[in-house]
Amino acid sequence: MTSAGDLPKALNVIVCIKYAVDPNQLETEPVTGKPNLARAPCRINNFDENAIEEALRLKAKHGGKLVGVSLVSQAPPKDVLLRALAMGVDISYLVTLPGQSRPDAYVSAVILAAAIREVAERSGIAEWDLVLCGEASVDEYSGQTGPRIAEALDIPSITYVKSLSVNEGTLRAVRVAEDREETVEVSLPVVVTVGMEASRPRLPTVLQIMGAGRKPTVEMSAADLCPHLVGMETASVVKTLDVSAPSTVRRREVLSGETPDAMAREVLRRLIEQGDVWFR
Amino acid sequence: MTAPQYSAAPCVLVFSEDNDVVLQLLRVGRQLADQCVGSLVAVNVGPKNVDAAEDYITRGADSVLFLRPNQTGGLGVELLVDAVYQGIRLMSPAVILVGATRVGTELAARLAQRLAVPCAAGCMTLSLGVAGGLVVERYVYGGRFIAREELRSAPLMATVQMKRFEAAERDKGRVGEVRELALELPAPKVRLVATRERTRSEVDITRAEMIVAAGRGLRNLEALAILKTLAELLGAELAGSRPLTSELEWLPTDRRVGLSGQTVKPRLYVACGISGQIEHIVGMRSSRTVVAINNDPEAPIHDEADYSIVGDLHEVVPALIRACKERHRQKV
Repeated sequence: MTSAGDLPKALNVIVCIKYAVDPNQLETEPVTGKPNLARAPCRINNFDENAIEEALRLKAKHGGKLVGVSLVSQAPPKDVLLRALAMGVDISYLVTLPGQSRPDAYVSAVILAAAIREVAERSGIAEWDLVLCGEASVDEYSGQTGPRIAEALDIPSITYVKSLSVNEGTLRAVRVAEDREETVEVSLPVVVTVGMEASRPRLPTVLQIMGAGRKPTVEMSAADLCPHLVGMETASVVKTLDVSAPSTVRRREVLSGETPDAMAREVLRRLIEQGDVWFR
Repeated sequence: MTAPQYSAAPCVLVFSEDNDVVLQLLRVGRQLADQCVGSLVAVNVGPKNVDAAEDYITRGADSVLFLRPNQTGGLGVELLVDAVYQGIRLMSPAVILVGATRVGTELAARLAQRLAVPCAAGCMTLSLGVAGGLVVERYVYGGRFIAREELRSAPLMATVQMKRFEAAERDKGRVGEVRELALELPAPKVRLVATRERTRSEVDITRAEMIVAAGRGLRNLEALAILKTLAELLGAELAGSRPLTSELEWLPTDRRVGLSGQTVKPRLYVACGISGQIEHIVGMRSSRTVVAINNDPEAPIHDEADYSIVGDLHEVVPALIRACKERHRQKV
């Protein structure tokens, strides 16, 4: 507990946000079996919405700055971009990549770490107390960006976090492993990746969505942040040879029947017939 | 195909904090080492353990490196990264494979960043290309597509999907070298305050021949009990989607089917009240026959099913139980 007159320190938080293709709306080209990326709608990575939710809860309790930062090769549509601001993020920074470059996870983390430092400077603070990310991105599901940024910033990381709180410069978090939950403590600053087990992200109200357009979005160039990395194309280190849909052939037969009992008997008859169910 | 050329005999290094996963990595690691006429080294963080070393060697390792930290007790990810990094510095491996557990994913990401290389995450197949690159297959776009990628970095780094490979077989005749390296590690910054074990199942659902799976459509725990009755009649195991295992905790997490859980391949998969989000589909796609019970005719699970019953599972599952009992009586 803080003693009387001793104001609790405000908490400055930066959330890394990825705009990704929505896999649930991604269609397969009928002839080639490849994803139709050009027509797929883009959205804010859903794990990042969990991270924003946790950041908003911390801000409500501690105050302080709440900034979003995103690395993009081209700016997503305006409505997608405003989502984080509508949820409650104060300012969003878009770090734009030159031309057609597709940096790999290493280069992306170097650029994001540089952006995180630069945004701190522009915000008039020495360093962020907390860097929040989603546990993974919905498109790649690598789960690497958070820990890679922590490595680049040379600070600790805690991944797959379900809940977190801050008290006098110390973060306490519950991280979910395969078969156990761990409660850990660490002094700030730290990178935390927020998992899907965390609190459900809030839905912005109509008023918040309208207000989001008045909040600032600042563009920064990746080339200015990391001149030494410009032109470093991922194609030289990671080459995508092919992307295709896994082939599963299902009968897709909808059983008709007047009653649940009739349908149940019918499906069981077929399963027994083809040897998928047997009674000893 | 000619083996890729290296200046010195290349080394494939495998690490996982989970012993079962090490045995899986030894299988794929051995394949890669044979492909490049190199050696396979298993890295273990902890004091020298003769039994573990012998097990790894009989299962394909040419050498086992024990990294003995100066502190006792289990290490968190933070210090595991420092420890394995020192092992990498010592061995200069051409290929590094890490098990894609949650700890392994974080560890591999930090190591890869320290080594300034990419890391292919959650690989399902791995082989060396003609030019010496690492060619992998892994799920992308939430599991809807499989990407084939080639890495050309030094070292080549990948995390391997859990349970994708069977544990390497034992060959009693194999011999290998055992080494130990003492480490000076800094005091950890992250402190473990408490651990809560999540309930674990008696069974391994990845080996189940039949599965009855529960989803968000279940109204309450009574509905789960009804599914359990059906599973018992069929001789099936009970599994669940992510909301049921992680959020509601109605089932242990090791019964979770999906991208973030287990990959199952039963003869019969009965999906009850599961909408069919791609995260779930990835885990059950290899089932032979799929039955979907869902009251929403638009639910994507119907596209992944052989037989669909569009109806309320709370009525359909009891009907299935009655039908099973009828059949059972006919047999007797």
